[in-house]
Amino acid sequence: MTDDIRSLTARLADEPGSLAFLELAEALRRRGQLEAAYKVARGGLSRYPGLADAHDLMARVLSDQGDLAGAFDAWSSALQLDPMRTSALKGIAFLYFRAGDPDAALDHLQRAMEVDPDDPTIRQAIGRIGPGRPAPAAAQPTAAAAVPVEPAPEPPSRTSHLFDGVEGGERGLLLVDANGLRLGGELSSADGADAGDRVAAQLAGVSREAARATRLLGLGNWHAIAIECPDGHLVLAQSTADTVLLASREPSVPIGRVGLLAERAARAARTWLEGQS
Amino acid sequence: MRALEPWVVQPLETFLAESGARLTLLMTSSGQVVAQHGFSRSLDVMTAAALGAGIVASTEELGRLMGAQKFEALVHGGQRQSCMLAAFATPRGRWIGLVVFGPETSVGIVRLFFDQMVQQLVTLAPREQQPAAPMLAENFETELNASLKALFGR
Amino acid sequence: MTATQAALDRVTRVPGVRGALVVSAADGLVVAEQLMDGVDGQAAAALTGSLVGRLGRTADSAGLRPPAFVHLRGDAGSVLAAPGPEDLVLVAVVGPDANLGLARLEMIEAAGRLA
Repeated sequence: MTDDIRSLTARLADEPGSLAFLELAEALRRRGQLEAAYKVARGGLSRYPGLADAHDLMARVLSDQGDLAGAFDAWSSALQLDPMRTSALKGIAFLYFRAGDPDAALDHLQRAMEVDPDDPTIRQAIGRIGPGRPAPAAAQPTAAAAVPVEPAPEPPSRTSHLFDGVEGGERGLLLVDANGLRLGGELSSADGADAGDRVAAQLAGVSREAARATRLLGLGNWHAIAIECPDGHLVLAQSTADTVLLASREPSVPIGRVGLLAERAARAARTWLEGQS
Repeated sequence: MRALEPWVVQPLETFLAESGARLTLLMTSSGQVVAQHGFSRSLDVMTAAALGAGIVASTEELGRLMGAQKFEALVHGGQRQSCMLAAFATPRGRWIGLVVFGPETSVGIVRLFFDQMVQQLVTLAPREQQPAAPMLAENFETELNASLKALFGR
Repeated sequence: MTATQAALDRVTRVPGVRGALVVSAADGLVVAEQLMDGVDGQAAAALTGSLVGRLGRTADSAGLRPPAFVHLRGDAGSVLAAPGPEDLVLVAVVGPDANLGLARLEMIEAAGRLA
């Protein structure tokens, strides 16, 4: 055992609640001791579930272990806690690239570029993924390509669309207010009929009911509800206190990815709502 | 929603908001109404209170005969609506709750928030400073009429 | 061991699961439970039964078949639900460090065997 791992282990043993688990798990991971790294990371994450660093660390460990779905979820959690976390954006881009979806990979790398234009690894990754695609200049993003990242970008003009910059546009997305009224988006059933208003009506009060359930069961505030049906996936995310965002995709799209889409769309909706007031 | 005693209001309002109950009646074990929600006629309130108190008394007697502990709640499940009767102890004596609800909620939800309401009522109930004076028949009718007026806002 | 008990055993063995119960969805009442201290079974049954019912109607209005799995995520943990036959739902309350992937797989399989 090297000196740094030894000393970090001793420090963690003395103070189980310290953040030494971050360094220790990372050191173990770099040495290839993935099982040990996983146990340390898991222990730290249980103590610090709200720490983006811990989720980021867990994602790296899971990715090395080959658990790509787990890594995706962990990086998604890191992004939810810290939307500007470039390491999570790069990690998810890597996973999309591995999954054969270079467009989604590039989308995440471009977001990372917006946050940290001076990171050379991002440009390198963009160059690797799309040698024929021009690497974006580290200038202001165009309105069409921009994906809202906290802090919020300039408020959209009154003619801007609700889900600008979100993958797939309005398709399969619904923004609903507390009374079950649709504020935007479109949702079709399998036969192509518009189901948006009908679904919106069913969602009246769901935010309140989810909040009640997590509160009374001691789980804090609610963040999202994932609903897996044999013929489609739905994810509900809180957009504002009074609105909820529904994302719907075919069952072939992993539920984690639908969750990420819902979060992004919820952020876009928040920005749009602020611009409307 | 109407209540004779102000400290009953907030727990009952919370129960109604959370449970989705259609009709609710709180009464003493002798059938004296304490609060009501959803009833439109005083006759219905009186009838429901009398019947509810009688059903609870009969059920408890049945339980005693069977050697069982007291029943916590009695639920009649219907197609279009269901009814729950539950007796509970308060610092002001034994009370009974009658709740009518539809398929838009569930007996689990109704019971969950009914139990929470009972805990709040027990906490908020003023403790009796001295024993209540015995109720005379003439006072009873006067008090009943006054209660019904208060419960129907007239 | 009944199918219900076997289902609860499988789910509660997953790391991070604080409790599991079988719920009658329409009533929101507990059919069977295996819970750690501090997990309110009555509340979990009532609240999850109600939410799963509402989400099932949402899926139906979107033209989808009934949900096979529901995951409500909170700050400090999640509620997982896997509907089974005859209006029964297998519910788990899990902490933030639970192995969600494993819990999900175990629950979907176990829910299908409830009777």
